Amino acid sequence: MSAVRFAGIGKSFGAFTALHPTDLDVADGEFLTLLGPSGSGKTTLLNICAGYLPPSRGRLLVGERDVTATPARRRNMGMVFQSYALFPHMDVHENVAYGLRVRRVPASEIARRVAEALRVVRLEGFARRAIRALSGGQQQRVALARALVIEPDVLLMDEPLGALDRQLRKEVQLEIRRMHLARPRTTLYVTHDQEEALVMSDRVAVMRAGSVVQVGTGRALYDRPADAFVARFLGESNLVAGTVAATDGTTATLTVPGLPHAIAGSAASGLAAGARAVALIRPETVRPEAGGLPARIVERVHLGEIVALRLVLGNGLELWCRRLAGTDPAGEGIEIGWDPASVSILPDAA
Amino acid sequence: MLDRLAGRLGPAALLLPAVALLAVVFVLPLLRLLELSFSDPAGAATPYVELLHDPIYRKVFAATAWVAVAVTAITVLLGYPFALALARAPLRWRVILFACVLTPLWISVLVRTFSWMLLLETNGPVNRLLVAGGIVERPLALLFNQTGVLIGMVHVLLPYAVLPIYAALVRVDPALLRASEGLGASPARTFLRVLLPLSMPGVATGGAFVFLLSLGFFITPALLGGASSITLSMLIDGFVNERLVWPLAAAASMILLAATLAFLAMAARFVAPAAVAEVR
Amino acid sequence: MAGRVALAAFAALLAAFLVLPVLAVVPAAFSARSFIRLPPEAWSVRWWGTFFGDPSWRRALLKSVEVAVLATLVAVPLGTAAALGLARLRGIVRRLALALFVGPVVVPVIVLAVALYAVARSAGLVGTTAALVLGHAMLALPYVALNVGVSLAALDPALGRAAAGLGASSWRLFRTVTLPLILPGVVGGAVFAFVTSFDEVVLSVFLAGPSAKTLPVRIWEEIRVEYTPVVAVAATFMMALAILAAASFRLLRRRRA
Repeated sequence: MSAVRFAGIGKSFGAFTALHPTDLDVADGEFLTLLGPSGSGKTTLLNICAGYLPPSRGRLLVGERDVTATPARRRNMGMVFQSYALFPHMDVHENVAYGLRVRRVPASEIARRVAEALRVVRLEGFARRAIRALSGGQQQRVALARALVIEPDVLLMDEPLGALDRQLRKEVQLEIRRMHLARPRTTLYVTHDQEEALVMSDRVAVMRAGSVVQVGTGRALYDRPADAFVARFLGESNLVAGTVAATDGTTATLTVPGLPHAIAGSAASGLAAGARAVALIRPETVRPEAGGLPARIVERVHLGEIVALRLVLGNGLELWCRRLAGTDPAGEGIEIGWDPASVSILPDAA
Repeated sequence: MLDRLAGRLGPAALLLPAVALLAVVFVLPLLRLLELSFSDPAGAATPYVELLHDPIYRKVFAATAWVAVAVTAITVLLGYPFALALARAPLRWRVILFACVLTPLWISVLVRTFSWMLLLETNGPVNRLLVAGGIVERPLALLFNQTGVLIGMVHVLLPYAVLPIYAALVRVDPALLRASEGLGASPARTFLRVLLPLSMPGVATGGAFVFLLSLGFFITPALLGGASSITLSMLIDGFVNERLVWPLAAAASMILLAATLAFLAMAARFVAPAAVAEVR
Repeated sequence: MAGRVALAAFAALLAAFLVLPVLAVVPAAFSARSFIRLPPEAWSVRWWGTFFGDPSWRRALLKSVEVAVLATLVAVPLGTAAALGLARLRGIVRRLALALFVGPVVVPVIVLAVALYAVARSAGLVGTTAALVLGHAMLALPYVALNVGVSLAALDPALGRAAAGLGASSWRLFRTVTLPLILPGVVGGAVFAFVTSFDEVVLSVFLAGPSAKTLPVRIWEEIRVEYTPVVAVAATFMMALAILAAASFRLLRRRRA
């Protein structure tokens, strides 16, 4: 049984369509991330789920319950806002206790549950601090505690780490992941950061221009993207344009002008012989190979443990290659190849 | 060379003409008034003693304070929901409502007060409506008493309460209201626990503005009030123009000024003095 | 939902309360009788003829215009220079200067009127145009300085540094860069100064004497005794001018934004 089901949910503002009719199921206890660039409709979807935005069409089910017309305050969802939205005139304890007071929980139980929630987010001893007196990371954790303490049916998070610096963001990502694994709770998470999505999620839904393009585990999206957009959005990619020479449904070959051999790879759905397509060759799969394609190294970019090489092939085609630092070939001339099993042939997303 | 000199003298040279004007037309007259207040031949402090002890004058002080408090309370109570409606109105309506608040500020207080004289007369339109509507049996006395003063002053000072409250309301992050709603709070609870407390600084600023302006208000009480509702500013006018008693007039002015400045010092937390000018 | 409707209805009612009463003087100005009854039983424009024909009203109108123009001419350059000076001050000096400049706004106008009257009387200046002009300029000064100050604060300080880097002298900098950019603020301040003076009642009642009565002083005196619809004409005239000023100020502010 799915915990949250979007059934044909769509949203228009006048003539502008923010969200095309969308079907999406979130399993009970699953951490699902909505990933996409700004304007892709991910926050619209989240706000519809929370009840802050009425959908223009479709139905929203939580468990067996149709909540499409239920006001936000009766949905029992915990929301963590991008700005945290902590009440500035209340201290940490009062912020976390707010949802419990609304639910008329007895005072002694409020004290116990707030203390427990603060312990979970490692803020014991901060109960009487003013919000102003907290760092960004601490405020983020108070917001999380406030959302969790009401035991929500669904936890919603709208780019909650956007305001943190890079180092702290990485720590909090792992912390949220560990908390989720320790006590799985149906979670919808919105971000435009692909790394964040890959670190934290059970599954990722990639969105573009108001539609969900592909849903799957991080691994599946990375290895077998549905199209060039998803490939480009997750990780680094070489996308080589050409024409489909042949396909049997599971594999395909792509002829590329100026290359001596066609590129073979597994076929994404929606390919037909003779159609324009792209081959996805991840830079880390490009390797030196004696007797392979001759190429010239025109640029070296040192990224710490990795060195990225920009290669130019005989026909002027450019490819990026990533090697562990120290294993990158010296000199200018090089012969390269790649593992056909890691190549995908994808429809060319316009 | 000349440039550098101007640069060094800069601020002082630029401020000098305005400061000179204020020195002659603002500071000097106030000092002269202070001096006059101690010039009674019967003894320097006599006017102050008389003002502060005579029951007639004490009644005037009480009436002045009462009018100021009443006007402040009414403008805030009316202004808050109006500011709330303003903050929530769709853009087109907000423009219209804003024009309704701001345009009267440009029209002379004298003209606005005169309008009320025409409306509140015994046989004026307001009374005729009340009688025709069966609300009262005979026309009410709305003019030349405290009722008239309150109506006129609330009308003139209402925008000064609305604008700071509106500013405070739109400063409240809408995500806070969503957060409250998402945590299960009813609209009433969200208003009482989140929006109202967070907009209180605007209420304090607006209330302080109105109180400050009410204390020294002259035109409206003088035209709409009567012998039964004399305020301090009317008393001062009477001392100068009817009784020609300068020491008393000067002392009463100093008391009004002191009360104004004392309130300003107390309210400095809510009202930057410059903001008083800015609202207009 | 019901709450929303109630709130909107309340707002509409209060907006009407703010605007409609002010308009009461307009029908009163077109009354045919010699007393005012709203709405008038018979209409006529005869009192407009009286207003523009009667020498005492005409003198008052001209005096108001004369005083307002002169007060504006005093307040605008002084206020603009002061705003430029204030913008360069820091710390305690700035706070003191600001306190002095908002003084005329904070001190009750009846106190200012009595104080000025006392000084003007001993200097023999009661009933002179000069006394009115200086008094009004003092009241208008804060508004001019504030308006110009708002424009100045919106200026990009890098502009000044850029011009100075190109070798502009400070006068040239002011003339070619600062002034054109703050001009809307200066003009807005001038509109404000003119209206402040034109509408001013209390100082004028004390300082005008018998010889320098402005329009508001004439209205004030009529209202306090027995008035005819000609007062409503004068009030309507003042209101029309104020709305014109408000509209032009709004236009200027939009240009500035």
